[in-house]
Amino acid sequence: MVHCEALVIGGSAGSLDVLLRVLPVLDEALTFPIIIVIHRKHGSDSLLPDLLSSRTRLRVKEVDEKEPIAAGTIYIAPSDYHLLIEQDRTFSLDYSEKINYSRPAIDVTFQTAAEVYKDKLACLLLSGSNSDGVNGLKTVKIWGGLAMIQDPASAQVAYMPAQAKLHVDIDEILKIEKIGEFVNSLK
Amino acid sequence: MKKVFVFDDNADILELCTIILEDAGYEIKTSSTSNNIIDQVLAYTPDIIFMDNWLPDVGGIEATRELKKHETLKSIPVIYFSANNDVKSLANEAGADGYLSKPFDIQELENIITSHLN
Repeated sequence: MVHCEALVIGGSAGSLDVLLRVLPVLDEALTFPIIIVIHRKHGSDSLLPDLLSSRTRLRVKEVDEKEPIAAGTIYIAPSDYHLLIEQDRTFSLDYSEKINYSRPAIDVTFQTAAEVYKDKLACLLLSGSNSDGVNGLKTVKIWGGLAMIQDPASAQVAYMPAQAKLHVDIDEILKIEKIGEFVNSLK
Repeated sequence: MKKVFVFDDNADILELCTIILEDAGYEIKTSSTSNNIIDQVLAYTPDIIFMDNWLPDVGGIEATRELKKHETLKSIPVIYFSANNDVKSLANEAGADGYLSKPFDIQELENIITSHLN
């Protein structure tokens, strides 16, 4: 990758633990935004950004509709909405039908981000129990972006990254302890 | 170490509360059902209980009512939490000692525990 303009992280069951271990390692001088989409039910809206915020000095916030995407910020997808990246590099929230039984669906954010950031996008798929994110990673590869997965062997629930490994030409397979270091190496 | 028992059918809430409260120095147990509520609470004897409204089996209101009728357990504070504030008066009538409106943040969670344990 020549230059990273955005990192999108998707995950489901077992991914929170990974995020809590990765965030403290992240470089404070991050030059791109990190957009996190994890499957969760409505009701935990304030707790998740609050908890993640307690693990990093980077700014963490839940996405607001039409919000411009800023470097050095960690954005969390709200529960119950698909999170889309628009061509003008703003977010948009969508309440259409669930995809892969999920809303937010990781595929939606990976795919729309790929069409915006093209070869300057990195996407990472973490632990999870369904195949959401796999088609998104295919789109990321089509546009020349970087497709990464958590090493299924280190995932609490291996199915999601294992499906990606099976169906997508993955660029990086990362153990949990290497994820933060790798993200810091993206410029 | 003070013990907190959280009842909620939302696994995300239970996972987040566990991490947050352990970070804050509490021991925590969680359950996603109100089935055999008395036996569950007797087996853990918490210092404070968080009770969700939509719980499988008898539900949060009836579970709170049962706890507040129990001779040994009635003194344990029950904090009712729900996204539907219409149930607040029902929770009060059932004997709940406090109410937390969902969604709540970490500070609100810790404040309500502190205020009922001190």
